[in-house]
Amino acid sequence: MIVDNHSVARSSDLIQGTLDLLILKTISLEPVHGWAIAKRIQQASNDVLLVQQGSLYPALHRLEQQGWIQSETRETALGRVAKFYSLTRHGRKQLTKELEQWERLSTAIGLVVNPV
Amino acid sequence: MLWLKRLRLRIRSIVQRSALERDLDQELQFHMAEQKAEFLGQGLTDSEAELAMRRSFGNAGVVAEQCRDQRRSRWFEDLAGDTRFACRTLLRAPGFTWAAVATLAIGIGANLAFFSAAYGVLFRPLPYTEPDRLVELDLGFGGVGPTTALREMSGLVDYAGYLANVEATAQLGGEAVRLRTASVTWNLATVLGVAPSMGRWFDASEESAGRHRAVVVSHRMWQERLRGDPGVLGRQILLNEEPFEVVGVMPPGFAFPAAATEAWTPIRIDPSSRGYMWGDLNLWPIGRLRKGATLSAGQAELRPIVDRIRPMFPWRMPDAWGTSSSLVLHSQALVKDSRAKLLALAAASLLLLVIACGNVANLLLTRWVRRDREFAVREALGAGRGRLLRQVITENAILAALGGAVGVTVAGVLLSVLPVFLGEVPRLHELAVGPDAALLAIATMLITFLILSVAPILRSKLRRGQLVSGGRNTSLRRTNRIALALASLQLALATSLLIGAGLMGRTLWQLANVNSGIQASRVVTGTVSVGPSRCATADRCWAFLQDLNATLGSVPGVRGVNWSNGIPLVKQTSAMSVDVQDHPKEPGAPAFVLWHSTTTPGYFGALGIPLRAGRLFSDADTSTSLPVAIISESTAKRFWPKESPIGKTIRPVSGKVGRTVVGVVADVAHYSLDGFPSWIDGVQYVPFEQAPPRSAKTVQLSVFIEGAAIQNAEFHSAIRKRFPDVVVSGLRSIGEVRDASVSNRRSTAWLLSLLAGLGLLLGVVGVYGVLTQRAIQRTREMGIRIALGAAAGEIASIVLREALLVGVVGSFIGVLVALGLSRFLRALLFGIAENDPVSYLIGPGILVATALLAAGVPAYRASQVDPVQTLRSE
Repeated sequence: MIVDNHSVARSSDLIQGTLDLLILKTISLEPVHGWAIAKRIQQASNDVLLVQQGSLYPALHRLEQQGWIQSETRETALGRVAKFYSLTRHGRKQLTKELEQWERLSTAIGLVVNPV
Repeated sequence: MLWLKRLRLRIRSIVQRSALERDLDQELQFHMAEQKAEFLGQGLTDSEAELAMRRSFGNAGVVAEQCRDQRRSRWFEDLAGDTRFACRTLLRAPGFTWAAVATLAIGIGANLAFFSAAYGVLFRPLPYTEPDRLVELDLGFGGVGPTTALREMSGLVDYAGYLANVEATAQLGGEAVRLRTASVTWNLATVLGVAPSMGRWFDASEESAGRHRAVVVSHRMWQERLRGDPGVLGRQILLNEEPFEVVGVMPPGFAFPAAATEAWTPIRIDPSSRGYMWGDLNLWPIGRLRKGATLSAGQAELRPIVDRIRPMFPWRMPDAWGTSSSLVLHSQALVKDSRAKLLALAAASLLLLVIACGNVANLLLTRWVRRDREFAVREALGAGRGRLLRQVITENAILAALGGAVGVTVAGVLLSVLPVFLGEVPRLHELAVGPDAALLAIATMLITFLILSVAPILRSKLRRGQLVSGGRNTSLRRTNRIALALASLQLALATSLLIGAGLMGRTLWQLANVNSGIQASRVVTGTVSVGPSRCATADRCWAFLQDLNATLGSVPGVRGVNWSNGIPLVKQTSAMSVDVQDHPKEPGAPAFVLWHSTTTPGYFGALGIPLRAGRLFSDADTSTSLPVAIISESTAKRFWPKESPIGKTIRPVSGKVGRTVVGVVADVAHYSLDGFPSWIDGVQYVPFEQAPPRSAKTVQLSVFIEGAAIQNAEFHSAIRKRFPDVVVSGLRSIGEVRDASVSNRRSTAWLLSLLAGLGLLLGVVGVYGVLTQRAIQRTREMGIRIALGAAAGEIASIVLREALLVGVVGSFIGVLVALGLSRFLRALLFGIAENDPVSYLIGPGILVATALLAAGVPAYRASQVDPVQTLRSE
């Protein structure tokens, strides 16, 4: 049976595009699995940024299809099988680009909100 | 190489779909397990933790679906699904599928075949180096002197000369065979940009008399006549009694000037013999534009050169000589005569394809109407209109592909028989199914697919915003309109095809009624080639002819043998510039040109050419008696409208002695049934004995043998017994000559009629289908009408009126299309204009009549509706 799925909206509390940056940054140091990515973002942001599974996994799959991250299935410390994500060479370049963009954006917002 | 990596990822998501699915499932399971573990760690019981986890995770199916979407392979999976579904649907209706595929195959096959023929002959580059720089003269002049002078004088074009269709007698293995050869200037290979595959081509010195005994043979001649002898180079073969050395073998594809050319010899250039240099040996020029030269520059250069060549003739040439020549591309000049025919057939086959598509589109439409309920259910379940449309279109693509595949087979068969039907078209031997054909096939399938898809897209637009209830359905009216429009379109194009076929048919009819002036049924004609030793002097030649006469006359059944310098209706010119008594020329005015026939006395009687005034030739007109001539009726009218031409004189411009006109005979279409070339002013006959062929070369004579039911083999064997060195070729009856002269038009007429017949058949089947469908839908309406007192005839007339409407609208559009397309046929028509009213009435007439006939069955059925039954069945 044919079901039209093209109009399902993606919702995210994060500013458009920032989720990619957060993910890329989080996995830039070592390979991490999905659950840990969500946890780390949450901890690092003092529980401010809660990444929903509904946005995390599609984002991971999208980044993988873009060729920026790659995955590898292996066992965790507790012996469970999980998919670990790490940056590719292109991903590292993309991360630098997104970081620069973020710097520019946040400075700009800072200037607007907090005029000197 | 990011894109390469991405491509790999996409391919992986298509190919390793199940592995990815497993991974995805595992990943989400892992997440849920971690989440649950966290809840357990907060002190919840197992079932509480499970519930909390499920709550916080949400719908795992949706998350998984969104992840899948990121793979960007969705379109492919949909396509695969659509294809599977479409195949199943088509398999479920085998009758429909067969009908559709067969119809498309006919359309696509015919289209492919005629388009490949047209492309292969008209547009594919010639197999020479830079073929678009090869030029020749249209309405040009030939001759050894003019062409070699042109070669020397031109600064922009490298000219070479060729004498095509030189029949030569070769002695191979003790038997005399006829070879089709060409005599060429030594630089022909350079100009064409070709080289022998073995041995060498000629060099400049071989053009001079005495050194010209070299021959280059074609690949086929080497393989077939010389049995592929590897040591063929250096071998001597006897050509026209002279030994020639084989110096080269051309590659297999080389076919200049014609595909049948078997050997090339250097033309002998002998400046000391003025008659030879400036006589009637038609050495035609062909040239290659030098680097940087353009066609128009070459043309501009031509005129001054012609003005310099004209005074070089040993006799005064008319000032108009050579002035109508223009430089044209060789590739265009080569196919000039076939262009009209091939383009007309290609256009016709395209129309047939559109008709076939229209037919299938209507079949599809009928099916969709029946499937409306299915579509409604799907739409209700959330399928988007675009998505449904895509699926329908996928079905069309599969039909187009299937039709195309079968069509390619049809085209292959057609292409293999086409050369037989097309008659004399250059380059047909090159036709083959190659890469161009594959491209063409794909293009044709795409066109088919697009045409098929117009209807569903239109219909989908029309249905937009309507509630499809699945019950009685409001979109039916509009669907019917599309169906009727499609039927009209088919009929329109069928009308155009019928008109085209009608025009050609009328042309044939007109040609059949042309009086060629020859009333002979039992005359066989052919060409006799005589070696140079036989006709070295006029007396010897004449004596030899008497001998030949006796030999042929001894064959049982032969009543008479006559000779001439040519066969009528074969478009071979034989002309002479003359001064005519009572018609003094202004200085510088062009001379009169008369058709020149040499005939033996019995020629007129044998061909049934009646005498109008004076006398015919007799045996008393010999080489020593008064030079005489007979002219045709129209020539007499042209030059001496008020007085008798008998006793007037006609003098060749290159001669001193005039000929006295002794008789007038009825007109004969010597050149072709269309008439003479425009530059011919009249016709003169001269006694054979007073103008016997004299030549140091092989002489060709045309023989006319009267007699009933004699096998050609008897003539061949009689000649071979007595004169082993003489070859008789092309023996056929005068009737066959006439038939062959219209073969180009006849083949076009037949092929067009075939296409028109197929078009009509498909169109009428289409109309029948649509009307039947309409009648079924309107059964209830008819029932009510009958119940209210309508007579059977009135009911039938409702259906017939619709057919008439479709037929008339179709005919009208078809006439417009035909008016636009008939210019393709202009060059082929004879005796009628391209807007010939008869053809334009007959075509639509046949069409409307057939449409009404096709409507007969549904009309009858509608009138026989039982009102009680139909009203109850609701």
